[in-house]
Amino acid sequence: MKTKSTAPAARRRGLSEIERKKRVFAYSMIAPVILIFGFVRILPIFQNFLYSFFHSSIGNPLEKFLGLANFTDLFKDHLFILSLRNTTFFALFVTFFSVIFAVLLAVMLSSPTRGGAFYETVYFLPVITPMVPVAVVWKWIYDPTYGLLNYILSWFGVAPVGWLVFPDTAMIAIIIMSVWKIVGYNMIIFLVGIRDIPESYLEAARIDGANTLQVFRRITLPLLRPIMLFVLVISTINSYNVFTQVFIMTSGPQGAPGNAVRTIVFDIYENAFRYFRTGYAAAEAVVLFLIILALTLTQFGISGSRERRERSRLKRKGASA
Amino acid sequence: MVKRVGIVFVALMVLTGMLFAGGSSEAKGKETLSVWCGYPEMEAFYKHAAEEYKKLHPNVEFNIVTHPLREFEQKLSATIPSNTVADIIDVSVYANQKFIEAGFIPRMPEKVGSFVNAPGRYSDFARKNNSYKGVMYGVPFFQGRTALFYNTDMFAEAGLSGPPKTMAEMYEYAKKLARRDGAGNLTRSGHSLRLSGQGSGVAEKWWFVLYPMGGTILKEGKTPGTYHAGYNNDGGRNALKYYVDAVHKDKWDDHKIKHDAEAFQLGLTAMFFRESWVIGDTAKKAPNLKFKTALVPRDARWGRITNIQNLYVTKAAKNPDLAWDFVLFMVNDANQKWMLDNVGWLPARMDVDLKEIIARKPQFEAFVATAPDYEEFGYIPIGPFDELATRLAERLVAAFMDASLANNPAGIAKVIADAAEETNQILKRSNFYGE
Repeated sequence: MKTKSTAPAARRRGLSEIERKKRVFAYSMIAPVILIFGFVRILPIFQNFLYSFFHSSIGNPLEKFLGLANFTDLFKDHLFILSLRNTTFFALFVTFFSVIFAVLLAVMLSSPTRGGAFYETVYFLPVITPMVPVAVVWKWIYDPTYGLLNYILSWFGVAPVGWLVFPDTAMIAIIIMSVWKIVGYNMIIFLVGIRDIPESYLEAARIDGANTLQVFRRITLPLLRPIMLFVLVISTINSYNVFTQVFIMTSGPQGAPGNAVRTIVFDIYENAFRYFRTGYAAAEAVVLFLIILALTLTQFGISGSRERRERSRLKRKGASA
Repeated sequence: MVKRVGIVFVALMVLTGMLFAGGSSEAKGKETLSVWCGYPEMEAFYKHAAEEYKKLHPNVEFNIVTHPLREFEQKLSATIPSNTVADIIDVSVYANQKFIEAGFIPRMPEKVGSFVNAPGRYSDFARKNNSYKGVMYGVPFFQGRTALFYNTDMFAEAGLSGPPKTMAEMYEYAKKLARRDGAGNLTRSGHSLRLSGQGSGVAEKWWFVLYPMGGTILKEGKTPGTYHAGYNNDGGRNALKYYVDAVHKDKWDDHKIKHDAEAFQLGLTAMFFRESWVIGDTAKKAPNLKFKTALVPRDARWGRITNIQNLYVTKAAKNPDLAWDFVLFMVNDANQKWMLDNVGWLPARMDVDLKEIIARKPQFEAFVATAPDYEEFGYIPIGPFDELATRLAERLVAAFMDASLANNPAGIAKVIADAAEETNQILKRSNFYGE
């Protein structure tokens, strides 16, 4: 016990002068970055938590202490409840479809084929295109009178659809556009994961008589689990933070009906920057933060318990052998 | 070696010093004014005014930026509190009132005040609707007055000899003017109503019908300076019914067809309500379109909205005297006329003679015409107006889509009552509520 507690101290004492100087230099080099990061990224999070307990005005975010009143008001606010429901619907579908399509594309592009790099670039292009012009272009595509989508559908005798106009189709339209935008990113991550799987594993499975589907189910997919977790977490976080496409597609006299596609960040934006209810908007941001945190921990938890189950299964198998 | 390095260092220092000295002497006397506006069509005016001003003050440079209105409002929200806004902003009172109330917008100097308060220069309506606690903060610049635009070719084709005089007539005209294809899809709306969109625009456009029908968005309470919802009445219910019937009963407008000025210029609607800028815009985009304008039809009463747009000098202005000087330059006689003639926005000043322009462009007539019982109404200068109008707009958008409201007076009454309750709640929260 004693040895354990004194060992680090002994190691510290054992640092050479050069090593110590090296460390001081290294820490002093990264300190400005850490300070800036803390100031612009970490501090505002704590500030946001603080503001959520206050009534605020434009000039004074800490005008009057309200305790939990902002939070209790939130759950009586029909617009917040609507935003929460819409955002969850959006996040669920965007995450689900963007992961499914990304895995399929990654599997298709993982085997060396002619023009593979070209297709990778094509699928990745939407990711690097800024959201605002993309949303504007999709708004044109969805235009009920002159839109490309309705024009194509008219070849098959489909009557013009008001994609962004009606609540039933507006959210679906925005989900389609968002999946298209994000799928390339997820695909690249999966592609890296698939290419990282040793060829010998796949070959061994094939020698044992596994068909393509079995190889995918028994080898590829289990080995992609850490990547899958990463993609799920990132996609969920991004989907819950949806704003730009909703904002662009609801603007203008022909825009989508605001409430049909109202999302939490859109509601936060309106309360904070349009009506200057900063404290109330901060409370919404805290709720969003907690939702994302809970979902992320759940995803980690599910993945962790699977790993544990898998390890104990292998252990049992090993013991019986 | 050391000596050589020293010489080079000294030479560099001298050179740098000379560069900075040269720069500062060049910059001496130079002034830059930044101007932001939420109406992209006004850019031509600002450039013209800047060029004219530079002839008198060659040392002044301009940085003019225009944005679509909603983006402009966002930009103000972020930059006024952080004092990074432009020197001069062109904004209407409804968007700027919250900043005025919070003390972010400075008062105008005495010289500007005496210009604004000169007898006969601005209407009492313009003064009242732009004052906060009896003080005007911005110089009235142009006004968004509404008139009815109608396509004369389409009217002739439908056998209609002139514009509708009443709301009921306007409804019947719209029915006659709408066109459908073989499958029953609307190919031309009879009257383009604002059915969707962001912000408070939908509520503002609904107000055009609401006011003549006897309602209004806010009614002043018994205590001056307090308000309550002014549409939970027959006026409000009839105005909503007008829209619901148009979309779901007689179907002379729908959500799928194009709307607003774009629809009018493309020949996709026969008439619509808008401000005078559409005249200038149509001259550029659809020069062959044959159209006229008319006063807003009457119902229980008669009236049109007048939304005054003001020029404010902000706290961020580095040289406020120069900024105010340019503001006064922009509202001089010549520039007010140039704006009407070339952009189409109606000058706010009453004492500028516009007869010659109106004689050449008779479509402006409906915007300047007055009658003793033709009332003017407009935005109430209180901070929460934008929020309550936006919330009302969101409810209206949902109601316009709700087919179950057709032939459903109880449903319409509930929508109106719920919306009014929300309006009153916002007023109560902001301490502006009064019976």
